[in-house]
Amino acid sequence: MGGAAAASIAWSRCGGADCIRLSGLAAGLGGLDPGLSGLAAGLGVEVRPQLEVAAEGFPAMAGRLVRDGDDVCFVPRFGFADGTSYTIAVGGTTAAVLTRPRPQPAASTEVLAIYPTAAEVPRNLLRFYVWFSAPMSEGYAARHVQLVDATSNEPMAGAVLPAGSELWSADRRRLTVLLDPARIKRGLTAQRQAGYPLRRGEPFRVVVDDGFRDALGRRLRGAAERRYAVGADERRRVDPGTWTVFAPSGGTREPLEVEFDRPLDHGLLTRCLHVTGPDGLPVAGSPEPGPGERSWRLTPGRPWAPGSHRLIADPVLEDLAGNSVSRVFDRDLARPEDRPRPVSGTASVAFCAR
Amino acid sequence: MSEYGLRPGSANVQSAGPITFGPAGILFLADNGSATVFAVDVADQGRSAGPEPFDLADVDARIGSYLGCAASDVDIRDMAVHPVSHGVYLSVQRGHGAAGQAVLVRIGVPDGAVTDVPLGRVPVAQTAIGDAPAEDDQRQDVTLPTGDQGEEVTYGGRTIRILRRPIRTSTVTDMAYVDGDPGALLVAGLSNEEFSSRLRRIPFPFGADVTGNSLEIFHVSHGKWETAAPIRTFVPYDHGASILASYTCTPVVHFPLAGLAAGSKVVGRTVAELGSMNQPLDMVSFADEGEEYLLVANSSHGLIKIACRDIDGQAPLTTPREPVGVPRETKDLQGITRLANLNGGYVLALQVDGDGRRHLRSLKTASL
Repeated sequence: MGGAAAASIAWSRCGGADCIRLSGLAAGLGGLDPGLSGLAAGLGVEVRPQLEVAAEGFPAMAGRLVRDGDDVCFVPRFGFADGTSYTIAVGGTTAAVLTRPRPQPAASTEVLAIYPTAAEVPRNLLRFYVWFSAPMSEGYAARHVQLVDATSNEPMAGAVLPAGSELWSADRRRLTVLLDPARIKRGLTAQRQAGYPLRRGEPFRVVVDDGFRDALGRRLRGAAERRYAVGADERRRVDPGTWTVFAPSGGTREPLEVEFDRPLDHGLLTRCLHVTGPDGLPVAGSPEPGPGERSWRLTPGRPWAPGSHRLIADPVLEDLAGNSVSRVFDRDLARPEDRPRPVSGTASVAFCAR
Repeated sequence: MSEYGLRPGSANVQSAGPITFGPAGILFLADNGSATVFAVDVADQGRSAGPEPFDLADVDARIGSYLGCAASDVDIRDMAVHPVSHGVYLSVQRGHGAAGQAVLVRIGVPDGAVTDVPLGRVPVAQTAIGDAPAEDDQRQDVTLPTGDQGEEVTYGGRTIRILRRPIRTSTVTDMAYVDGDPGALLVAGLSNEEFSSRLRRIPFPFGADVTGNSLEIFHVSHGKWETAAPIRTFVPYDHGASILASYTCTPVVHFPLAGLAAGSKVVGRTVAELGSMNQPLDMVSFADEGEEYLLVANSSHGLIKIACRDIDGQAPLTTPREPVGVPRETKDLQGITRLANLNGGYVLALQVDGDGRRHLRSLKTASL
């Protein structure tokens, strides 16, 4: 069969899947069973992607040959990749090279927000979040998200936790970026040698450039950035007792307003605060972090019942430096007041709807 | 496979994560898309392999050739070696974004043949990571349900109903299986929100009710500061009695596995630091002339070798100095990102060269 030749070789569809169609190759095969496993070996059809590095012994692309009338179709087990060229060999001879088109749809995805939104962050800032308007591709964060010194405009090398797994929300729209914890934790060699990633009094910018690809492989519509001033370290536990609660009036749908003593982590804030009513049942409504993540409000779905309510904080709630309700991020063993606090389930603040 | 609770089904992995072998040739695969760990019978038919080394140049391009894509579209996320056939299993993400696809690739030893391992219609069991943490584990997503879901809790004289939900997206950074009765799969993860140190111990076969518990691991640095930190990579040694864990911030910490109660806080013993601007990537243990050693692959230094007896004899670090902690040898072996025990005489390394090409390379343990 080595002498068999196809009249034409082209992209096509076969049985609902993309394929490479070799027209006329099956002519003369007679009553050969369509789709039979021996077809590939018998016809000597092999498909290979063109690679920068290629050598003898590289495997052919996985797939199967399907007979379609007088044609033979190569249906790959893993789809053809956009922009990749494929060499089709028949009987050991290159018969065609086909290049998969690379669609260039217009960029439509953009950065919706960068958190925190506070103008000033503590020197020991632990993480920030980047929200995108559509699901994103993995593998671009290290090259396309940077911290930049706002004075010199130089990238701050080594500020962000390098390599390893990217941290995405399940829908791939929110990226969590950690500053290198080894440079924030006291007592570690990295902290002593390289110092904090941020320097007090020296502003910086978080920059997301437009090379970041969305899930469809498109660049962003534009770059995005947020500028921060850098303040003092924050090394205190988050204490709901220090919060200011502005109680709403009973019988109204006024929002409950809570002001914090410092900005809190946006990601955790959206899920770690809840309110229960006089009956002990949760108050349904629309929670919303306030400007700079220094406050939180809850607009109830129904008017407030008069009487005693509770604002309940999940102990995992952290501030910008990773201090939570139950522990400080980086505990000085000589400070008994920083010992992890046993919090049974939740911490709460009482207030009364007037 | 039914004795391990595996039933015909599919391991629908969305985002390739760490892999490791368990008992009877069962492979555990972490899916970082759905926060699930699958146990799959890979039905490896390979014959029992010998003590020879195995090397394969351009493993990424070979896989690309088989999968029909460029080597740059082959993201090799983890590597495991089958205990009998010594076949090399690679957890691969092919392509990016919506077109991305998780593929389990098998490299035959010694022929180097590339195939993919079917994950559909195979004996499989699965467990969600973060489901049902221990009752007293505070580190979970607590919500107040509107219906009658959840449970009643009482505090301050008041009873409310709360719903404990699976912890938010957690990216599995490493897994290991330790024998026992029952055996257990250890899973380290990195949360995309709270900064915590969670090592889950999931009994295997996976239970119908309890899917695991989590241990809070803290490490004490220089006797002065204690912090929680996510484990990046870890390795059981001393027949599973001890764990050596390396953190995102490069301290290397020892803690005993035996006797850990569910949901307990464990304070580890910091025994080494691997230096600044560096990330631990993978660890493996091997024996040589009756002594057990550990190898640590990391992003900024050559391969590091540590003797287990030095770990056992290392007092907790109290005086910062560089290099800090247990004696270690740094080998002139750069670019190693993954490690696995090949056959006792050799450790298999996935190594990236200066041109970004990735190769499989055997390291003779007696020469390390």
